[in-house]
Amino acid sequence: MKNQKTKECHFCVNNLEVDYKDVRTLRKFINFYMKILPGKRTGVCAWHQRKLATAVKRARVMALLSATHK
Amino acid sequence: MSKTKKSNIGHYEVLFIVPNRFTEDEAKQVITAVEGVITKNNGEIDYREYWGKKKLAYEIKHNAYGYYALAEFNADKEAVALINQELRLSNDVIRHQIIAKRVKSEEEIAKAKAIQEKINARKKEEEKLLKEKNEKGENDSKEKRSKKTETKKEEKSDAKELDQKLEGILSAKDLI
Ligand SMILES: [Zn+2]
Repeated sequence: MKNQKTKECHFCVNNLEVDYKDVRTLRKFINFYMKILPGKRTGVCAWHQRKLATAVKRARVMALLSATHK
Repeated sequence: MSKTKKSNIGHYEVLFIVPNRFTEDEAKQVITAVEGVITKNNGEIDYREYWGKKKLAYEIKHNAYGYYALAEFNADKEAVALINQELRLSNDVIRHQIIAKRVKSEEEIAKAKAIQEKINARKKEEEKLLKEKNEKGENDSKEKRSKKTETKKEEKSDAKELDQKLEGILSAKDLI
């Protein structure tokens, strides 16, 4: 049911760029265990999903996000 | 397109963390020192940001807190490598990350603006539609209340069908 609501890409629809420093938005695309959610689930398009994955990894490097939920 | 590049200079962004053992003033001195490293290697800083003291998501070299600072600069590839090396060896910076940033051409900026305007217009239309829908929904609920004597299951199926029809009509309007 959730999938049907968020079928459109958050970044395409709102004309946003993926920024690794914007932890608030990155959080939306990560689950409780801090794993990157699949694009299928969040509705992010393939192009932005790739940007998103690198952004999350960059945020982890700078300790903006943790790699685990502990 | 251009294998023979006009210039080797690119736009970069560096985010770095100064450990918590410094006071805020000392940390600012460290930040100016880092900026000095960039300018020393012929980097042109055109943007600065200071985030202040933040809790790290995980401990880095036994530091739970750190001062975050950001700088954007123009430099050539070799200079960036040197800056990276220097920051890596520095004890006053516990972590840093240099990232190449794409500079937008004027065309791209204009395109983005046009898209933004379109989005704003569409949002307004959607709000209008939502209002209409809500008004219709209220009418539906009133009808439902009056039909309380009828069996609930039938009502539900009726309502679903109505909703589907309504949505069909609305989406048809959208297409026009
Ligand atoms: Zn997208």
